[in-house]
Amino acid sequence: MSGYILRRLLWAPFVLLVVSFVTFFLGLYGPGDPVEVRLGQRYEPELAERLRHELGLDRPVGQQYLEYVRKVVRGDLGESIKFRNRPVAELIFDRIGVSVQLGLVSMALSLAIGIPLGLIAAMHQGRWLDTAIVSTTLLPSAISVFVTIPVLFLVFVRTLKLLPAGGWGGIFDVHIILPAVTLALAGTAGVTRMMRASSLEVVGQDYVRTARAKGLPERLVVGRHILRNALIPMTTVVMLSLGSLVEGAFIVEGFYGVPGIGALALDSISSRDYPVLMAISLIVALSFVVANLAADVVYSVVDPRIRYR
Amino acid sequence: MGSRRLVAILVGLIGLLVVAVVIVAVMVTGGGTGTTPAAETGPTGPTTGGGELRLIGSDPPTLDPAVSEDADSASYIVEIFSGLVTYEMAADGKMSIVPDLAEKWDLSADGRTYTFTLRAGARFHDGRPVTAQDFKYSMERAMKPATLSTTADTYLGDIVGAQQVLTGRATSAVGIEVADDRTLRLTIDAPKPFFLAKLTYPTAFVLDRTNVESGRTWTSRPNGTGPFKLIEWQLGQRIVLERNPNYYRGPVQLQRATFLLAAGASMTMFENNEIDVTGVSSFDIDRVTDPTNPLSKQLITCPGAALGCPQFDIFYVSFNTRTAPFDDPNVRKAFVRSVNVEQIANVVLRGLYVPAKGILPPGFPAYNSALKPLGFDPEAAKAALAASRYGSAAGLPRIVLTLPGGGATAPGSVEAILEQWRTNLGVDVQVQQVEFATFLSQLNRGAYGLFSLGWIADYIDPHDFLDILFYSQSNQNHPGYRNAELDGLLEQARTERDEATRIRLYQRAEQLIVDDAVWLPLWHTKQYVLVSQRVKGYRVPPFVIPSLKDVSVGR
Repeated sequence: MSGYILRRLLWAPFVLLVVSFVTFFLGLYGPGDPVEVRLGQRYEPELAERLRHELGLDRPVGQQYLEYVRKVVRGDLGESIKFRNRPVAELIFDRIGVSVQLGLVSMALSLAIGIPLGLIAAMHQGRWLDTAIVSTTLLPSAISVFVTIPVLFLVFVRTLKLLPAGGWGGIFDVHIILPAVTLALAGTAGVTRMMRASSLEVVGQDYVRTARAKGLPERLVVGRHILRNALIPMTTVVMLSLGSLVEGAFIVEGFYGVPGIGALALDSISSRDYPVLMAISLIVALSFVVANLAADVVYSVVDPRIRYR
Repeated sequence: MGSRRLVAILVGLIGLLVVAVVIVAVMVTGGGTGTTPAAETGPTGPTTGGGELRLIGSDPPTLDPAVSEDADSASYIVEIFSGLVTYEMAADGKMSIVPDLAEKWDLSADGRTYTFTLRAGARFHDGRPVTAQDFKYSMERAMKPATLSTTADTYLGDIVGAQQVLTGRATSAVGIEVADDRTLRLTIDAPKPFFLAKLTYPTAFVLDRTNVESGRTWTSRPNGTGPFKLIEWQLGQRIVLERNPNYYRGPVQLQRATFLLAAGASMTMFENNEIDVTGVSSFDIDRVTDPTNPLSKQLITCPGAALGCPQFDIFYVSFNTRTAPFDDPNVRKAFVRSVNVEQIANVVLRGLYVPAKGILPPGFPAYNSALKPLGFDPEAAKAALAASRYGSAAGLPRIVLTLPGGGATAPGSVEAILEQWRTNLGVDVQVQQVEFATFLSQLNRGAYGLFSLGWIADYIDPHDFLDILFYSQSNQNHPGYRNAELDGLLEQARTERDEATRIRLYQRAEQLIVDDAVWLPLWHTKQYVLVSQRVKGYRVPPFVIPSLKDVSVGR
C-alpha cells in the first residue's frame, strides 16, 4: 500500500508539469495579450514594448516557461499582471479557501439529505415513496441554477426577508446559507440515486438475509449491515468530488457575491493574467491528483478486500 | 401512486427545506433579520458619529496613484491620496479646477511655468507636512521606467525633461523644480491650457517616499493625503476607508466608508438595507422611476437631466477610413445618415441614454449645441451610396461590424442599427462579437473595418476627445483618419491661450469630424443611482472625482 501511494505521489509532479506546460502555451499562443489589455484603448507601441520587457514577456517562450517552473518549484507563484505588486498566492489562497468552505457546506448538505433519502428509497423500492423521493430530488437538479437562484432569492430574501441578498462572512455566517443550499439542491439528486443504487445492491446480499433470518431488529439490519456497506462506494464519490471544490462555482458565487475563486479565474482569463491563470490551473490539478489518491486510500481502508500493489 | 400523494410529498419536502433554512438562519443570526452589515465592527472598533456608508465596490488593480489607469482604482485613490489641484462640481453640475494641496498657483507670462504654493496645513495621514520635494519625488517616480506607469507619459509627459526620465535617459526632470518646502515650479514644453486638467489625475498625486519604499506591498498601508485613510483591504471581500483626522480641511463628516467587493444582487441588497448606494440597471429602471414606488424618492437627480446623471463619455460606431469600403467618405456618410440614433436611443434604450449629435458630451468644455450633425435622412443616405465608387449596396464588399463582448446575440441597440442599415440602405451588415482582449489586440492592428466602442473622459478638456481620438499621429486614432485641416486646427488649439478662440477651434474641429462621417456617434450614458434617505451629500459626478468628502450618514 505504501509503495502504491509513493508511486502515485511520484507521478504527481509529472501531471503538474504537463498541466503547466499545456496551460502556459495555450495562454501564450492564444489571441490577446496582457499588455494590450492593460493599455486598453491607450495603446502605444513603444510603451507596450517597454511594458513587455519589464514584465519579461519579450523573452523566448521556452525561457519564460523554464523560469516559471523554477520559481514554482521554489514555492513562488509570481506576481499578478493585473493586480500590480500582488503575489499570486495572496490573491488566490483566500479565494480558494472561500470556495472550499462553500463547497464543503453544500456537499455536507447534499450528503445529509441524499444519504437518508437514498436509503429510504431503496428500502421502499418500487413503491410510491421510492418514486416520490427519486423524482423530487431529481427536480432541482434538472432545473438550472439560473432558475433555482431567483426562486430561492424571491422566497428567502425578497419575500420572507430572512436572509441577506449578498456578501460573505465565512462558514459560520448567515451569508453562506443561500449559496450552499443552491449548490446542495443541484447535488442532492446524484447522492440520493447513488445511495439508492448502492443500498439496493447490499439489500440482496446473503449477509443481510442472514441478519434478518437470525431475527435482528430491522433498524439494526439497516444501520449495521445495509447502511455501512452501502456507504463504501459513496466514499469514492465524495473523495473524488473533493478535488472539484477548489474550482469554485462561478455562477452561484457571482450571484450571491461570494468571493470565491470562480470569478477570479474568469477574470484572469479575460485580462490574460497568466501568473494567476497558471496558479489556479496548477492548484486545481493538484487537488484532483490528491483527491484521486485519497479516494483510493480511503476506499482500501473502508473495504479491506481492496488491496493496491 | 396517486398524483395527489405525490404533490403532497413534494410540498412536504419543499416545506421541510424552508423550515431547515429558517432554523439555520435563526441559529446563525441569533434571531436577527440576518441583514446586519458585515462591517458594523472592524479593527478600529464600533462606529462613533459621522456614520458609515456601505457601498458596492470591486477590487482595484492597484492603489498606487502612479500606475493607476482604470476607474476602479481611481475611485479609491482619489479618496486616499490627492494632488496639487482637483475638480469640484458646483450645485449646477459645472466642473471646475480648484486648488487642492496647492493653495494657489501662478502662470508665467509665456504660459509654460506654473508656480504652485502648497498649503501650510497639507499633511500626510501620519501628520507629516507635505513638501514640494514630495511632489518632485512622486512625479519623477511615476515617470521612471521601473515604475511601469502606463499613464505617466500622458499626464506628465508635457513637463520639460519628462521624456528623458520616461525613457530612462535621466533620473530627474529639469522641468520640476523645488524652490522651497512650499513652492513647486513645473515648466512644460509649450503653453498648454489643458495641462492643469492633467494634474487632477492620480499620476500627479503626492506620495510619501518612506511609505513607498517600505516594500512592494506598500499600497496595503498607504500614507496618503486625501480625506480618507485605508484601514482595511480584504482582497475580494471588502475595503474600509476611515476619515483622515489630519485632512487639511479638517476631518470630513463621514466616519467610515465600507466597500463590499463581492456583493451579488445590489438592488436587493439596497432594498434590504444592506447597502446605502446602488446603481440601477435597465431591468429595474421602470419600477424605480414609477412615482408610486417609494424607491423613486431615493433616485439621485443631477443638474441638467430630468432623470439620471449624465457621464462624460460617448459610445459610437467607427469606420476604418484607411480600408475599403469606408475609405470612401460617401460610404461613411451613407452609413451615418441611414441610422436614426434618436429613435434607437428612445425606443430600444428607452430614453435612458442621451443620443449623441457630435463627439463631445453635453456639459463638456467646447460642447457645441449648434453643431450640425449629418442627421438621419434615408434618401440622402441612398444618394451618398449612389455617389460612392460602389454605386449601390450590391457593389459593396461584405461588411462586418465587430464589437467587444460575448454571447450568441448582439445587444438590442446594435440589432436596431443593423436593421436600419438593412432597411434604409439595403446593406446586410454582419455582426461579430469578440472577447475583449482579442478585440483590443486586433483593434490596435487596424484589423476591423467597422467596429463599435466607447470612450470615457480622462480629463475635462476637448483635447482628451478630439485630439487624442482624431489627430492623425495619435495612437488612439483607431479610424486611421487623416485630415490636414483637422490636424492644423487641433495643433493650434493645443497651445491657444485665449479660451474663447480655443473653444472655437475645437468646435470647428468637431464639425469637420462630423461632416466627414468618421464615426456614427451613438449616445452618451447616464448613471441611475439610488441612495438611502439617511445619506446626505452623495452626488454622482460625470467623471471620477473625490465624492465622499461631503457625505454624511444619519441614523
